[in-house]
Order: sequence, then C-alpha cells, then structure tokens
Amino acid sequence: MNDDQELLGIGERALARVEHGEAEVMVVDERSELTRFAGNEIHQSVAERFRYIRVRLVHDGRTGVGEVRGHGADAVERAMTAAEESRRVTTAPDASPLPAPDGAGGPVAFAATTAAATPEDRAGLVAIVTGAAQAQRLNAYGALSTTTTTTAIVSSTGLRRAATSTQASLVTVVRGDDGGGYASRHSADFGALDVEGLADEVVDTCMRNQHATPIDPGDYEVVLSPYAVTDMLEHLAWVGFSALAKQEHRSFVRIGERLMSESVTIRDDASAPEVFPFPFDNEGVSTVPVKLIDSGVCAGVVYDTPTALRDGVVSTGHSLPQPNTWGPLARHMVMEAGTTPWEDMVESVSRGLYVTRFWYVRDVHPLRTLITGMTREGTFLIENGRITRPVKDLRFTQSIVDALADVVQISRERRLELGEGASGVLSPWLQIGRFTFTS
Amino acid sequence: MRQVSERALDAASAAGATYADCRVINRTVQRLTVKNGLVAAVELFEDEGVGVRVIVDGAWGFASVDVLDPASVEEAARHAVQIARASSRVNRVAVRLAPAPPLTGVYRTPFVRDPFTVSLDDKVDLLLRTDAAMSNLPHVQIRECSLEFVREERHFASSEGALLDQTIVESGGGLDATATSDDEVQTRSFPNSFGRHQICAGWEAIEALDLPGNAERIAEEAVALLTAPPCPAGTMTVILDATQAALQVHESCGHPTELDRVLGHEAAYAGTSFLTPDLLGTFRYGSEHVTMTADSTRAPGLGTFGWDDEGVAAQRSLLVDQGLFTGYLSSRETAAAIGQLSNGAMRADGWSRLPIIRMTNVNLEPGTSSLEEMIATTKHGVYLETNRSWSIDDRRLNFQFGTQNGWEIVDGVRTRLVRNPIYSGQTPDFWRSCDAVAGPAEWQMLGVVNCGKGQPSQSMHVGHGAAPCRFRNVRVEPSR
Repeated sequence: MNDDQELLGIGERALARVEHGEAEVMVVDERSELTRFAGNEIHQSVAERFRYIRVRLVHDGRTGVGEVRGHGADAVERAMTAAEESRRVTTAPDASPLPAPDGAGGPVAFAATTAAATPEDRAGLVAIVTGAAQAQRLNAYGALSTTTTTTAIVSSTGLRRAATSTQASLVTVVRGDDGGGYASRHSADFGALDVEGLADEVVDTCMRNQHATPIDPGDYEVVLSPYAVTDMLEHLAWVGFSALAKQEHRSFVRIGERLMSESVTIRDDASAPEVFPFPFDNEGVSTVPVKLIDSGVCAGVVYDTPTALRDGVVSTGHSLPQPNTWGPLARHMVMEAGTTPWEDMVESVSRGLYVTRFWYVRDVHPLRTLITGMTREGTFLIENGRITRPVKDLRFTQSIVDALADVVQISRERRLELGEGASGVLSPWLQIGRFTFTS
Repeated sequence: MRQVSERALDAASAAGATYADCRVINRTVQRLTVKNGLVAAVELFEDEGVGVRVIVDGAWGFASVDVLDPASVEEAARHAVQIARASSRVNRVAVRLAPAPPLTGVYRTPFVRDPFTVSLDDKVDLLLRTDAAMSNLPHVQIRECSLEFVREERHFASSEGALLDQTIVESGGGLDATATSDDEVQTRSFPNSFGRHQICAGWEAIEALDLPGNAERIAEEAVALLTAPPCPAGTMTVILDATQAALQVHESCGHPTELDRVLGHEAAYAGTSFLTPDLLGTFRYGSEHVTMTADSTRAPGLGTFGWDDEGVAAQRSLLVDQGLFTGYLSSRETAAAIGQLSNGAMRADGWSRLPIIRMTNVNLEPGTSSLEEMIATTKHGVYLETNRSWSIDDRRLNFQFGTQNGWEIVDGVRTRLVRNPIYSGQTPDFWRSCDAVAGPAEWQMLGVVNCGKGQPSQSMHVGHGAAPCRFRNVRVEPSR
C-alpha cells in the first residue's frame, strides 16, 4: 500500500507533463477484503487491490477526462492521453474552473487495526456470529469487510491533498425455520466493531420473528429502527439535498419553508467523528458542515464547484468526480437525536408497527419524495405499548417528507449506518404518527 | 495473458490449492454524455487485472490485483490460498463442484463495425444532433443523451486444463427528456430508461436506434405528461411494452431462478427465492403463454458469450416452460448441490470480483399475439411504457412497478395519455394472469446495465428478450 506522499508524488509528476491549460490528477489506492458467510459457513472470501488514476484537463474552455485503473508504469501517460483525446471533442464553454486550495483540514476516519486485519482475523469474528446462531439452532448469513483507501488530489491551481481512510463493516442476517433477524455494525476501527452486541441483537430479533402472521395493509403508527431511517435519509440526499436537483426544479427543497416536524434537524457533517469523517471531496475542496433541515425548515443544499458558480456561492465540498451530470451529494448525514429512549417509544404506541429494516427502496416520484419498498427481517405489531407478535413483511408507499412532518418522537440513541449507496448516516429511531403500507 | 494465468495457477497449486482458476481481464470503456446542448463528459476508462480463485481444504479463496508482474500475480495466488485456509477453519462442509469438461477456444462478439473505430467527433456529433432535436420545446428542463462502448478481453484458465479467450464488445445509447412545472416533474426516455439501451454489438446498434429521429417525439411526451390526467385506479387489464416486460422478467423470473439465492448464499443481501427446489417441475409459475429461457447463445444480448466465468459453455435452458417452473440459473457448486450440471451462469464484474450466479439472457419467449391485437381485444385497461420505479421483496414475490407513462385503453382503443402509473401484484398470480405475448416481429433483445448483487457489490450487464404482453386483473393506480 502506498502512503499519501507517494500518491501525491504520482499526481505531481503527472501534472508536470501538462503543457497547456489546467489539470487535476486524482490517484486512489484501495485495498479491500471481505469474508462472506451463509448457513454458518464461509462461502466467499475475497481480497482486492487496485489503483486508479483520473486526469481532468481544462484548456480553451474544454474539459477532458481520462481514467486508467492499474498500477502499470504507463498508467499516468495513458490517462493523460485519454484526457486530451476527450478534451478535444468537448464543447465550449462548459468548463468548470479547477478549485484553488482552501487551506482547511479536518479529521479522517482511520484505524491501523482495520488496515492490518487478516483473513484469519475476519474468520475469527465471523465465528462469533455463526457460533451465536448455532447455539440457538439458527443459521447466520452476512459479510465482514475491511477497506483501506488512500486518495490524493493535486491540481495546477496548487491544490495538494491526500488522506488515508479505513472502514470496517459487519452486516448479518440470522434465519430460523420461519423468519429472520437483521443487524449491522460499522466503524473505522475493525477492533471496535461490537460483534458480540450484533450477535445478541440479530439472534434476539430472529427468535422473536418466527412464524409471523399477516396483517392488513393500511395506515399505521410506526417506530422505525435506525436501519430503516437511514434508507429514508439517503433517499432525501439523492432526490433533494443536491444543489443541482434544486437548480433543475426536481427537488422538494424550498429554502426557508417548514416541511417537516419542528423536532427534525438534519445536517451533513463530514467532520463528525461518528460518520466516517473525511476532509475533502472529489475536487479536493474541503467538505464543510451544511444544515439541510433546521427544526423542520429547509435550510440548505450541498454544492460542488459547478453548482456553486451557478448560484454565486462557494462550494460546500460535496462534489463527485468532475465532470458529472449527477451533481453534488450529501454523504455524511447526521440526524439530531431526541430525548426519548427508543424502547419508551414503543410504550407510547397503542397500536402500530415496529419496523427493523426496509428493503429495495426505490423512488416512485422524486419531487414528492414518494418511495416504495418492503419491510424485512423483523416487522412487529405493537399493541398497548408492547410488541405482541411478528407480522408478515409489508410493502409501503410513502412520502418521506410527509413522514418526517409527522414525527412524534425521536430517540436519544443513534446508530451509524451505511445506506444502499454506502453513505454514512447517523440515524435515530423515529416514531411516526402515520405511515402507509399498501400491500 | 496466458503467461499470467500459468504463473497464477502454478503458484496456487504450489501453495496447496486443490483447484484453481484465473481470469485476466482488460476492459476499455468509452462514455459520452451531452446535457442541455453541451458535451458534459467524455470519459475514457481502461482497466486491467487478474483474479485468482482457489479451493484449499474444501474452502474457497479469491484474491485479485491490478499489477501483472510475476511477483504480484504469485502473491495474489498465495493470498487466495491464505484466505481459503482461514475460511476452512470455520467451515464444516467441503466445497463440491459438478463436473465440467475443461474447454479451450476463442469467442468474439459478432459485430459489423467496431465502435472503437468510430471517431469521438462522430459520436459527439450524433449526441449534439439528438440534443438539438429536443431543444425547442418549452418546459423541457433537462435534456440528456449518452453513448457507452465496452470492449473486454477475457482470458480464463483453470487447473483442470481449461483455456479460453473471449472478446466481448457492447454498444449502448439513449436519451432522456425531463419536463418540469411548478408541481410536477416528468421524464421520458428512449429507447429505455436508466440512461441507455445496450447490447453486444457494434456501431450498427447505435445507428439502428436513430436517436435524433426519436428525440423530439420523446420530449413532447415528457411535456404532455405534465398535464396528463392521473392514471386510472382499479383492477384492470395491463399491457406492458417490451422494455417494461423485460424488467418484469428480470425481477420476477431472473432473480428468483438464481440457484445461489435459492440455497441461501445471498440471504444477507440480495435475498432468497420463492422458487425452492421442491417446486421444480411441478409449480405453476405462469400461464401457458409464459415460457422463459436462459440463453447465453442468443445474440445480441448482454449475456451472450462463449463461456461463463468458470469455463462452462454458453447454452440455452428452460426456466419456465409454458407456465411450468422447470429450471435454475446455476454454477458448478450450486448445481452439484441439487444433483445437476452447471448451465453456465457464473459471471463476474471484472477481474477484481468473484464470479457469482448472474442472469445471462433471460428471455420471455415470443408468443403469437401482437400489441395491436392485444389493445383491440381489451375492454378497459392501460398500456404501460418504460420503467420509472421498481421494487420487489427479498423472495421475489411482492412487486410494485411504476412506468414513465401509460395509455388508457377503452373498448379496444388506445385513448388518452395518463401519468404516474404504478401496478403491483404477486409474481405467480401476475404471470398466471398473462393471456397474450406478442410474436417474433415485436420481440426485442433488451438489457439491464445496472443489475446489482453480491458483497462486495457487483454491477452486471444482463440481457432480456421480451415482447409486449398482456395481464388480466392487475391492481393499477396513480402514484400520489
């Protein structure tokens, strides 16, 4: 694995070859390993190591991009050639200027234990989960992954940034004869993964979720676990919290308007220690905290350089690799905690549903934040303040904004979760007055 | 490539592997996007590396690296062996592979014109002409069109003696027009949603699309949708266009017939399947009009190749035969678990990923009807075009799909455009209600370029041949 300085050196040597105009070079080294298990057996265990070099050239108002994945000695040259070939055919005047250094810094999620984790280490942790399942005559399924990524960005504007981050994740389903449970844990530090806690949680959920019976679809009061809440927040980021979505009139966000409950505050904060902090975006711009929803009121969206120029503001450092047609993305969302212990939420529901997780959530109408999906691995009926029985999975079709406008309580506990798009999200449990299940 | 694979297999064997295979892959991708009159991105990607898969002490190990020098390749092979040994500490059951003959050969995607010989200038010109055709319509806020070309050189070798070389070429293109008003956003796509229609073919596939010639019509439909009435609600007849039928096949037949899902290998992520082995050969999946195949020999689908990624020859097999559930997509390991041979559905997203069971070309075989006849014999229903949203449960039973537009059918006549249609149901009930599939003249090879599965996640390009088809008594409503 190369360190930050070595990748910066590769980038700078590439920059030195640029004869005309401006250039940005991103060099990424990644080493990831994953141990996957099913039926209490490890059935897939893999290791991957790669580097990619992405060159963006800007000259005469034209932008070109070349990307080469590989450690080959000629990788830089091939990326440069591809970028120039690409630049030649783009049309003026769409070039977005390369950002200048902003001098800021910030924390990085890194732990040496994760970078050093071995297949034997991973198999050892997996054995804890499979052992807990076997002890109850259940079967465990899941994946334990470790990733170490070094990202370096240099540009002809003098920008020079690099950071190495780590991520460890354990995602588990445990299944019995007729039902299952789900739990996950994520951390920058492999050694800090709460594997025993996960095993207890997933086995407990599985054992309570046996022989579920059907329940009529309809509107229910719900308590959503952080796994489910994360899906909703991530979809808001995709369809609404982007400056480009707002500029293109396809976002629900109306700055200054109250659309959600006063108890709802959501921010993106790449410096928060709980959500895999990382100091800069794919343009090398420092990622600053952005308040997205402030006490229910639309407070802001995230920017990259092109969208910031259009609105006459400064980029918030949320760029994907440029150029792109997706726009910026909030990838470190934090929802403010409430004051209620999550178990007390259940006690306050006279009749409703507890949802462990959602599955296959898709946008039905992005402007209305309407999503559909299924509940999975743990949907329970709440009656008179107690979880009374598991119920069969249900399909929901629900506006996220409407749900967050109807928040009754927010838990004081929160969990770091990874969304389907691998965004880190710090989510609480939510009690929502009405949630629509359609089948 | 052969030297690399020999070195990897030798190193794996020397380290203790009882089976090993190696894939050396070089992939080149060109991606061009024009948005609102400007060339938004011309991206050129190159990717090369090697993946080594081994069995040691009855357990699998896999390692990959993008450095092809001898030391790195050998290190990757030894690392795969180390991983397998670590896994064998936990496992109680040894991996068993169904037999497969070690094959040798060369395969190349048939095409008329290599898309990589067409200049970038010509490709950009095509996209700019497409964009211009959409540019004069009011309310069209976003115009986006794109092309993608893929060339993948795949070399496969195994310790059993297989030695295979393939060159796969893909060409894809498409356009989106998004119209907005104060309270509505509507997108229409051509010829398919999610960016493009892609097949294993050359530049001739792009010319056949005629993107500039279809752009204005599609943009006009996006504008018309802004003020179109909502889709009617109720239980009614639904006719799907070929693109939506293809996605319905993908989600409700392709995924549940993946044998690794059935055996629980994907239980923690993609899910399992309602098509359990005890149903094989006896379960009434659909009506007699419904025959579905997995056919990796059928050009020009995205699942068309010479051999899969564990060296099993391309083939055609029945998944559903006139409504009866008859087969799975399988691998050597999963086929052995149910006493069968692999039907060649192991595919990997590049050199760095482990092959897993993926769809090849999962096709709804053509029937004898036609779209015109289906509409003419429908008293009340909707004709739905082009997917907008899709969701299905982890066993692949409970689904809900939305399409970009719909046409209300009244007394055998396609009448008015309706917006925001969604339809839902249970997979077997739905396919049992199928009473017509259009014939070969309206059958198209379509595809999905973003099929996600596996941990770490793999995105696969898969093919689906489909034709318009009709279903009775389906729940339909507008999204609200």
